[in-house]
Amino acid sequence: MIRKISLGIVLAVWLSLTVFCIIKPQDDFSSAERRQLSKFPEVSVNSVASGKFASEFESYTLDQFPMRDSFRTIKAVTEFDLLGKLDNNDIYIQDGQAAQLLYPLSENSVNNATDKITSIYETYIEGSDCNVAVVPIPDKGYYLAEKNGYPSLDYGRMFDILKENLTFATFCDITDTLDEDSYYPTDTHWKQENLLPTAQKIADIFGVSVYDGEVKTAKEDFYGVYYGQSALPLKADKINYITNDSIENLTAYNYETNETGGVYVSEKLDGRDAYDFFLFGASPLVEIKNPECTTGRELVIFRDSYTSSIAPLLVKDYSRVLLVDTRYMASAFIGQYIDFENQDVLFMYSTSLLNSSYVLK
Amino acid sequence: MLFSSITFLYYFLPLVLILYYAVPNKLKNTVLLIFSLVFYGWGEPKLLLLMALTILIGYISAVVMAKTDRKGLKKTVFIVSITVIFAFLAYFKYASFFVRNFAAITGISAPVLNIALPIGISFYTFQIISYVIDVYWGREKCENNLIDFAAYVSMFPQLIAGPIVRYSDISLQMKERKFSSENLYLGFRRFVYGLAKKVLIANAFGALCSDFRGADAKSVAFYWVYAIAFTLQIYFDFSAYSDMAIGLGKILGFDFIENFNYPYISKSITEFWRRWHMSLSSWFRDYVYIPLGGNRVSVARHIFNIAVVWMLTGFWHGAEWNFIIWGIYFAIFLMLEKYVFKNVMEKIPSVIRHIAVMTVIVISFVIFNANGLSGAVSDISAMLGLSGFPLWSSETAYFIRSYAVMLAVGVVGCLPVVKKTFVKAERFTVIRVLEPIVLVALLLVSTAYLVDGSYNPFLYFRF
Repeated sequence: MIRKISLGIVLAVWLSLTVFCIIKPQDDFSSAERRQLSKFPEVSVNSVASGKFASEFESYTLDQFPMRDSFRTIKAVTEFDLLGKLDNNDIYIQDGQAAQLLYPLSENSVNNATDKITSIYETYIEGSDCNVAVVPIPDKGYYLAEKNGYPSLDYGRMFDILKENLTFATFCDITDTLDEDSYYPTDTHWKQENLLPTAQKIADIFGVSVYDGEVKTAKEDFYGVYYGQSALPLKADKINYITNDSIENLTAYNYETNETGGVYVSEKLDGRDAYDFFLFGASPLVEIKNPECTTGRELVIFRDSYTSSIAPLLVKDYSRVLLVDTRYMASAFIGQYIDFENQDVLFMYSTSLLNSSYVLK
Repeated sequence: MLFSSITFLYYFLPLVLILYYAVPNKLKNTVLLIFSLVFYGWGEPKLLLLMALTILIGYISAVVMAKTDRKGLKKTVFIVSITVIFAFLAYFKYASFFVRNFAAITGISAPVLNIALPIGISFYTFQIISYVIDVYWGREKCENNLIDFAAYVSMFPQLIAGPIVRYSDISLQMKERKFSSENLYLGFRRFVYGLAKKVLIANAFGALCSDFRGADAKSVAFYWVYAIAFTLQIYFDFSAYSDMAIGLGKILGFDFIENFNYPYISKSITEFWRRWHMSLSSWFRDYVYIPLGGNRVSVARHIFNIAVVWMLTGFWHGAEWNFIIWGIYFAIFLMLEKYVFKNVMEKIPSVIRHIAVMTVIVISFVIFNANGLSGAVSDISAMLGLSGFPLWSSETAYFIRSYAVMLAVGVVGCLPVVKKTFVKAERFTVIRVLEPIVLVALLLVSTAYLVDGSYNPFLYFRF
C-alpha cells in the first residue's frame, strides 16, 4: 500500500509539472536574466529534418519552464548552502557583494583592445593636437577576488600591456580612488555617488575640474545584473545620483534614438536595466552639451557602460562631451561624427571588457 | 534526446507512458518502436536510416540463417551480414582514424574525412552482432516479428549508451511482460536516483574538469584533482545512465542486466573489469575472448588473447591512439596480475592493494580523457611533476575548497555503504513513507539544475 501511495505522489508531481509546461502561457522576457526568452519554434518539414526544430524546442522548454526563476533559485541555494560551492554560474558572494569570477587574463584580448585603440588613434587622432589618456576601470573583482581566495585576473600584467602598447596615451591608474563599496552589490557597475575622487583624478590629467553636488535617490529597489545571474535572494540597492543646477542644465542627445534630454533619464528607471538612467544606457554615440561652459573645449570618451555614470561629473569645464561606444558603432564611422582637433580624448574601458574585447568594432 | 533534459522528462516520457499503458499488450512493442525512433531521430533524423538499415540486415540475415538447411548459405549470410554491419561501424567510427594514420605512415596526402559519428552506433551494432552470432551458433532462435526485433534494438532506454542488452536476455520479455505498481515505482525510483547522480554529481565533476582545462595557473596538485574528478565523473555519468536505463526498462516492464557493481572498491584490475561496464566486458568475453581460446591455451596464446581483447576494448571506445593505449594499459596490468604478481598480491594488505588499483585506474582515465596520445603523455608528465608546474597554486586551493563537499559525496557515493544503509533503513516504515518525498525533492532539484544549466551530454554518447 505504501508503495502505491508513493508511486501516486511521485507521478502526481511529475505529471503536474508536465501539465504546467504545456498550459503555461509563453513569456517574452526574463527580467531577472535580462534577456528575451525562446518561443515555441516553427514546425516545418525542413526544420524537423535538419534538427533545427529539436534544438529550438530544447531551448523553448528551458526558457519557458514554469516557475523558472524559482527553480534557478533552488539550484543556486543548493550549490551555495548545501554543496558548499563558492560560486554559482561564475558569480560569487563576498561581503554582501555579488561579483563575477573574471579570470584568467586573456593577453590576446587585451592586445586586441589595444590594437583597436591604436587603430582609432592612428586613423583619427594622430597629429591633431589632442591630449590622449587611457583609463582602465577596475571591475569589483579587483578589490574582492584575490584577498578572499577567489581566482583573480592578473591586473598588473593587464595594465603593463596597456602601458606598453599605448605609448601615445597618458596612463591613469584609478584603482586607489575606489574600493569594493564603490560598486552596486548586485550589479557590475560602480555607484556614481562614490566616484568624485575618481572623476577628479581623471580630470587632473587634463587640468580641469569636476562637478560636485547633492546626492539624490532615483530608485529605491535596484536589482543589478548579478541578481539575475546568481539567482539568489539578494538585497536590493538604491540608485543615487549627484546633481546640481549646472548638471540639471546639461543636455544629452542620443544619436541612435534621436532622444534629447538631461544626463539622467528617469523613464529608464522602470526599464530592463535601471542603470540606463545614466545617459540612456548603452548607445553608440551620445553628445552632452554644457550651456554654462563657453570655452569651446571638448572631451571625447571611447567607453563602455561604466562611463555613463561618471561622464556627467566630467562635463564641468567642457562645452561638449562625446561618448563613443565602439561595441555598437564601427570605428570606420567615427569620422562622420567627430573632427579631432585639440580635444581631450579618453579611452575608458572596464577590465572585464578588456579581457573579452572582441565585441569592439 | 537526453534523459537528463526537460524535453525528455516532461514531454517525451509522460507521453510515451500514457500511450504505452493505454494500448493493449500486443501493441506495446509498436508504441515502443515508434517512440524509440522519435527519441533516436530527435536531433538528427537522418541517422534513423543507418539504424533502420542495420536492423534490417540483422533481422533478414537471422531469418535466412534460421530457415535454411544449407550450411554454405548460412555461413555466407553470416559472414556477409557481420561484415556489412561492422563495415558501417568501421566507416562511421574508424575511417577518419585509419585514413589519417595511413597518410601519416606513408606520407601520401589523404583527404580529411569529416564523418559525424552516429550516436549510439557502437552499442546497437554490438547488440545486433551478438544476436546474429547467437542465431548462427544456434544459441538463440531467430525473431520473426520485425517490429519486435526493431523495438528490441532501438529500445530508447538502452539505445544510446547501454547496457548492451543481448536479445537472449530479453527475448521472452519482448513477447510477454508483467506490469505492477511495485515495478513501476521501483523503476521510477531507480530512474530518479540515476537522474540525480547524473545532474547533481556527474555534471559537477564535469564542471570541475572544464574549470581545470580553462585554468590559468595549473599545478601538479590541480592535475591530480582533475584526474580524480574525471575518474569520479565517468563513473557517475555512465552508471547514472545505466541506472536510468534500467529504471526506464522496469517502468516499461523489462528487466535489464546491471552494468556496474561498485568498480572503485576493487582490489585488483581483474576485479575492476568484473565490476565496470559489465555488459561490454561480458560481450568481449563471449564473442572474442572465448572464441580465441580464452585461458585454456598456452601462456603465449593466452597473452595474445588478452592483448587482442583489450586492444579491441580500448578501440571500441574511440578511434584515437589513446583509447588503444588505454586498452593495452589494462591488458598489461591484467597479465601482470595473472602471471607475475598472482601470489604476491594475496599477501599485500587490502588497503595498499586498493590504493594501488585506484592509482592505476585514475591514471587510466587520464589517458582515456586526454586529447590524443600526446595529450595523455603531457597530462601524465604534469601529474608526475615533470612539466614545470608548481606543486600548488591559489587557483588549485580555490577549486578544492569549492568542490570539497562534492568530492566527499563522490568518494562516499562510489562505495556500497550508501546502498547498504538504505536497504537496512528501508525495513522501517517511516523510511518507506519518507522515500517518495526524497524522490520528489531529487526530481525537483535535478530539474532546477537542468533549467539553469547548459547542455551536458553523457560521456558515453561519444562512443
